[in-house]
Amino acid sequence: MKKGKNNKNNRGLTKNGPLLLIALPGILYLFINNYIPMFGVFLAFKDYSYVKGIFGSDWNGFNNFKYLFRQDAFTIIRNTLLYNLTFIILGTICAILVAILMCELGERFRVKIFQSSLLLPNLLSWVVIGFVGYAFLNADTGFINNTLIRLFGGEKVAWYTTPKHWPIILTIVHLWKNVGYSSIIYMASISGIDKSIFEAAKIDGAKKLEQIRHITIPMLKPTVVILTLMSIGRIFYSDFGLFYQVPMNSGALYSVTQTIDTYVYNGLMELQDIGMSAAAALYQSVVGFVLVVTANAVVRKVDSDNALF
Amino acid sequence: MKNFKKLFIVVFSVLMVVGLVACGKSDSGKQKEGDASSADKKSYDKVVYAYATFNNIPSSDVLDTVAEEINKITREKINVEVELLPIAIFDYSSSVSLTLQGGGQIDLFQSLGDFNTSVSSDMAYDLTDLIDTYATEAKEVLGQDFLDACVKDGSLYGIPTYKPYALTPMVIYKQEIADELNIDMSQVKNIFDLTDVLRKVKEAYPDMTPLVPVQTGTSGVNMTIPEVDYLTDDYYSPKGILKGNDMTVVDYYGTSEFADISNLARTWYNEGLILQDAATTTSTATELMAAANSFCYVASYSYPPADTAASISAQVGGIPLGAVQIGEAYLDTTSINALSWMVSSTSKVPEAALKFLNLTFTDPDIINLIIYGIKDRDYVISEDGYVSYPEGQDASSVPYTAQLSCGTLGNFFLMHPMEGTSKESLIWEEEQNQLAKKSPAMGFTFDSSGVKTEYTAVSNVIQQYLPGLLCGSVDPEVMIPEFQNKLSEAGLDTIIEAKQSQLDEWLKNK
Repeated sequence: MKKGKNNKNNRGLTKNGPLLLIALPGILYLFINNYIPMFGVFLAFKDYSYVKGIFGSDWNGFNNFKYLFRQDAFTIIRNTLLYNLTFIILGTICAILVAILMCELGERFRVKIFQSSLLLPNLLSWVVIGFVGYAFLNADTGFINNTLIRLFGGEKVAWYTTPKHWPIILTIVHLWKNVGYSSIIYMASISGIDKSIFEAAKIDGAKKLEQIRHITIPMLKPTVVILTLMSIGRIFYSDFGLFYQVPMNSGALYSVTQTIDTYVYNGLMELQDIGMSAAAALYQSVVGFVLVVTANAVVRKVDSDNALF
Repeated sequence: MKNFKKLFIVVFSVLMVVGLVACGKSDSGKQKEGDASSADKKSYDKVVYAYATFNNIPSSDVLDTVAEEINKITREKINVEVELLPIAIFDYSSSVSLTLQGGGQIDLFQSLGDFNTSVSSDMAYDLTDLIDTYATEAKEVLGQDFLDACVKDGSLYGIPTYKPYALTPMVIYKQEIADELNIDMSQVKNIFDLTDVLRKVKEAYPDMTPLVPVQTGTSGVNMTIPEVDYLTDDYYSPKGILKGNDMTVVDYYGTSEFADISNLARTWYNEGLILQDAATTTSTATELMAAANSFCYVASYSYPPADTAASISAQVGGIPLGAVQIGEAYLDTTSINALSWMVSSTSKVPEAALKFLNLTFTDPDIINLIIYGIKDRDYVISEDGYVSYPEGQDASSVPYTAQLSCGTLGNFFLMHPMEGTSKESLIWEEEQNQLAKKSPAMGFTFDSSGVKTEYTAVSNVIQQYLPGLLCGSVDPEVMIPEFQNKLSEAGLDTIIEAKQSQLDEWLKNK
């Protein structure tokens, strides 16, 4: 490395060149997959025609966006935002809780077993989970109606036509599927905390709970902030599988299960309009972008070390 | 050592990049080969025929052998070479539209339920001036009436597949249970007669849910409303409709018939005569009928009742089934043009494409090659003209078959019948096509491009309420008014107005 000493730039390149080269396929992928399609953004403002092609189609102003702001707009936006907020808050709390418990387990073997079983739901597809849910909630033969309610008494519930239970069901299903996965990141952060801090605290007489409250949780703060900021960026998107497959797309539940993604899907299944779907995607990403920038600005004000940018 | 490590990293990353580039290259290499081979036979126009298949997609070698057999005929007859492009049914529409968008060659494709979408997004070539020169025989086979179903704004955009169009509503039931309980099913003349039968079955078998839905959210009651022209929508999502000979577009959900069938479904639901989860279950009627605790379902079929029962019986594990007709078939534009063949607007050889399309309606050799493949390799034919698979083979093991697509390609009545069906049924079906009552608005198609915003909103509202009403899981007394309220908020009235004005315009020019 002595040769490059007099040229700073050059040294950076020799040092990082191979690494950049390794990253190249990833960067290329990102470029091809995430940046090039961005040119399609103006499709959202076009009345798309196959003959005229992407560039030749007529401009359409904001007509493609109109359907997103009709009568149900309030319900849909409310559902999307509230569910995502709940998921962010409860998800973070549960993930941290699981991570702390896992770290306290200590023994490798036990940790492995618990971790694997918590991760398993994350590997299942939503369609499968939808049917597992159906096995529980089916009005005629489901486990809850047929076994639990029969055992403990009570009225049978037509689950797929009773909206009031679904906010809870969806939250439980979401947490069940995702907590295991997100706790991994927190476990990694916890094991990154200097062990000597805990030892010092122990010598000073801090009990387990006090250690967690005063050491683990404050040390996790940067991770929590970053992860939350990132999920705020996606707060206008919803997990399509969760909101479509798990309630079996049951119309009677729309008031509590319909989010922007399922609304767009259900509405455009018939029309298959490219411009309108592009409009929905643009709308979601613009709102997400604005929210991330705002949230980041707030974080920077309060605690500039933890801001993303 | 350190240097070695660095070298390793460099070499490795270079390899990875080269690997990627190589992948890209091998693809383009293949394409070139393809170009070269078609350049050799320049004298023939090449037509790409994209059809949806419900069977396995054969390997390209096998496809070539079938295409070659077809080409032997087409080279001589119409100076055209064909490339077969079977696409799995589930991604047919998207695959075709993406190929066309990407500039790939597809000359012939089928509309698969979105005739209107294909036309309004300019995917289809205007055939008005070509049909009389290049597809006169196909036109004769179909007759002007049916061809008119593919006319929009005075231009012809497609040729409907010639098949049994007339869908007759029927009750499909388990013969053994009917016999055992001494139920005379022939006495069931309409959907309302069914209630007593269901009650009888429920009484004898309290654990049974006698009626199952034909598919998610459809108990079948809606198929029995007579003489409804959905005006380019379908019974899954009706918006404005025509009733009988009256040319006023009306709100489907405001009709007394809709209230009647909703109330009927509600009665069934309350008495436990219909599956409680009918509005959401994704199990199909055949799955549910295969189970022991079901008795019947209501659906529309294009085959004679006895044939229908026999063919469904085979799908539910051989349980003997009966079928009884409970309504009359009614033909509207959509029932004809839902499956129509189109020449793509991007085609460079529309004349050649149309010439080949014409052959699929008129040349039995060609249509049978596309459906069954090559004789004695993919199928055998009995002396009296029925097709079966070669000894020890079935649909999934023969090299080529598209048998399940038989109702979607060209002329159905030219195909050899399968073993187990009867030629008499074919005659019945062709008769039904002529006899079935036709909507006075036959040939009218509605262009929804002006009311897209309303369409999405209304579709969503319908999704929300219709399955519950048709399966009885919600109370129509409360829900129909609420439903209608929501619909008019969503802009149903605008859609109905647009339909009416387009219909009036169409009537004027007729």
